[in-house]
Amino acid sequence: MSSVQGQAIFRDVPGPAPKQASLGQRMYTSRFDYLYIAPALLVMLIVIAYPVYYTIELSFYKTPASLSLADKTFTGIDNYRTVLTSAIFWKVTWQTIIWTVLSTLFSFLLGLGAALALHRAFIGRALLRGLLLIPWVVSAVAASYVWKWLYHSDFGAIGALLNQIGLTKGPVNFIDNSTTSLYALIVVNVWKEFSFAMIMLMAGLQTVPESLLRAAQVDGASAWQRFWHVTLPQLQGVSTVTILLLVVQNFNSFIIPFIMTGGGPVGSTQIWITHIYELAFLRQNWGVGAAYAVLLFLIMMVLGYFYVRALTRGDDKRAGA
Amino acid sequence: MTNSEDRAQRSGSPTRRHIAKFALAAMATTSLISTSVYAQAVDLSKWSPEYVKSIAGTKDFDAAKDCGAVVPNDYAGNVSYWYTGPFEADPQIAHDQDKAFWDAFHAAYPNIKTDVQSITYNELLDKFRTALLGNSAPMVIRLQILGGVEFAAKGYLNPVKPEDYGFTAADFWPGALKSVTYDNTLYGLPTNNETMAFIWNAKVFADAGLDPEAAPKTWDDVVAYSKQIHDKLGISGYGLVAKQNAGNTPFRFMPQLWAYGGGSLDEATANPTYKSVEINNAGSKAALQAAYQMYAVDKSVPVSALTNTQAENQAPFIAGQLGMMIAHPAEYAKMLDLASKATGADKATADAVVANMRYGLMPTGPDGKRAVVFGGSNIHVVKPEFVDGGKVDEQAVKALICMWDSPEWSTRLAWVGSNPGNINGFLTSSMKQRLDTIKFLDVTTSMLPNGIPFPVLPESPEIMNIVIPDMLQNALTGNMTVDQATEDAAKKIETIIGGGGGGI
Repeated sequence: MSSVQGQAIFRDVPGPAPKQASLGQRMYTSRFDYLYIAPALLVMLIVIAYPVYYTIELSFYKTPASLSLADKTFTGIDNYRTVLTSAIFWKVTWQTIIWTVLSTLFSFLLGLGAALALHRAFIGRALLRGLLLIPWVVSAVAASYVWKWLYHSDFGAIGALLNQIGLTKGPVNFIDNSTTSLYALIVVNVWKEFSFAMIMLMAGLQTVPESLLRAAQVDGASAWQRFWHVTLPQLQGVSTVTILLLVVQNFNSFIIPFIMTGGGPVGSTQIWITHIYELAFLRQNWGVGAAYAVLLFLIMMVLGYFYVRALTRGDDKRAGA
Repeated sequence: MTNSEDRAQRSGSPTRRHIAKFALAAMATTSLISTSVYAQAVDLSKWSPEYVKSIAGTKDFDAAKDCGAVVPNDYAGNVSYWYTGPFEADPQIAHDQDKAFWDAFHAAYPNIKTDVQSITYNELLDKFRTALLGNSAPMVIRLQILGGVEFAAKGYLNPVKPEDYGFTAADFWPGALKSVTYDNTLYGLPTNNETMAFIWNAKVFADAGLDPEAAPKTWDDVVAYSKQIHDKLGISGYGLVAKQNAGNTPFRFMPQLWAYGGGSLDEATANPTYKSVEINNAGSKAALQAAYQMYAVDKSVPVSALTNTQAENQAPFIAGQLGMMIAHPAEYAKMLDLASKATGADKATADAVVANMRYGLMPTGPDGKRAVVFGGSNIHVVKPEFVDGGKVDEQAVKALICMWDSPEWSTRLAWVGSNPGNINGFLTSSMKQRLDTIKFLDVTTSMLPNGIPFPVLPESPEIMNIVIPDMLQNALTGNMTVDQATEDAAKKIETIIGGGGGGI
């Protein structure tokens, strides 16, 4: 807010409306602000804006493997048409939705459960909190390889355990089976990221006013009623942000599916991001890969909009108060 | 572009001694244009494990002196070079040989400054692509055998002549030169070449009632042996590899496909045109049917084949849970390494497996055809306009390539897992030392004449790493019949080579 407007707000006696400063004047007044953000802006332009622009540009060109990118040929929206009319795209989209929705849902629910359990003080709470954070801090690459061996269809520890306790006979095929592989990978993903939801929600739980919970208790509310009517509504903001972040993260989750199955068997664990990688980097089909990436970018922008809205909810009100 | 002559002229007016020196250098260079500095002494028609052993250590070479005839040893310049050198996981000998090379190069050419980057196999192509787009590539790059075709097709690489570097075409394997020829132009020189072979666990064979000292002769035998091992011992017989999006998969499956008379294109023929699609011919279908028989009918191969690369087969093999598989020349060293890391009862098992490990030639197809993927690396020169600084120091580049591809260094730099790209390397004492210390090297080496390079097309990675594994997975999972899977693959390959890309 400029100083001119600030004076107008606090003036006791209404007088003639101050003359609106021109854009140039306002920019001149804020020249040092621009100077301060210039380095960050420059870096963003180079590492974010230009690649985004270049990806959008590439998405309108045909880029055969035998031609350098300098010789690419303009094909309008052909690449978008290729992507959107492909049956594989819609299969992969459905898999991406399953992957994202289930990963987000279970990560959030597990994280919420863990956060609630760890919110109360008990002996060993700090240790348990540290232990539950391990999946989140472990490298996704390392975790993928470990889980690949745990799931291994011939020598996997999980299959051996199930066998030993009599639940199954012989090795269990989790990831070499096109009907179970995606769900097996979702389990790994949930294991990897529920800690993130737990941390976010633990922070949120700190902000629930103790007085409200006590008042509800005095009014005779049960533990469930206190959770449902007091705690959960208070967590709405942080839950929205957490869910949005999880959705974004899962939509872009590359490492686990790529390392564990490479998108197989028969494409059953292929999701958007791995498919884009395959098209662009393994098949050198840059144009189609770029068009696909632009579609992903648009979805990310929509999610980003909601994320920013969730983060800034109430800012206007607070500013006006 | 700079060269020694340019620099000399700039340093002052030529004296009589300078002129005489240049005349001698010119005469030497001229003589090299028509002949190699290395006389051809290897008879490829006699190639066998015995012949390889008999010629090793019969001739000595002096790389510094020989290359001095190509580029004077006092030449002052600079060269930038990217390659995949030894990394942490590689054995010490690979590090030692790499260091020894650079010491030798700097001793031979003390005035050539080197800017060298060792980049991992997985990162090298992407980094090179990025650098080319930003005109900041190195002058010289060594890429895996078909890595260069994409860049040659796109016009990033300089055509080369072996004679410019002190060699002749006869110094290299014909298959290796084929793999580095695009549109009838040679755009690199082979630095090292290798072919895989077949390994098996003799004890597993004996326990299953098979001859422990004989590899399966044909691929049909592999199918039968695999079933016998599985049925009698309850373990996997053959280490099938069929992971999607994995370069490992075609390296293991194409030898089988070629042996049956199949191909992706006509790469298995003497003079391939890469225009006719062969993936749906009878041979290809027979090979896919054999894989299907092992995976889906006999269930004699690992269930995990669909997500396995060769690395995942090593642990079961060393644990005695896998009977046989296609193996890289370095597999024996890897098994020794795994055995050395085993503890307790596992250690005894692993040691027994190493003792029972046998190497043999790849099985043949029904018509006696034996085939294997021709592997290795090539060294390339980048066009000046794409190089950092916009210049290629031609003389320094020649010096580096001449030294790297000399019989001695071509052998020593491929110590662990490959063979010299320069055939004369097989005559060196280093080769003899390798044969004496690396078990089964004579067997894997003797597969070289059966090597077939993947199609030399920029679209080859998409065909080999995407279409072939997809075809395998479609058939093995029952998603498609063998006929449908091969027809589907044929359509994809036709679209790809037709310039339409492989769809999505």
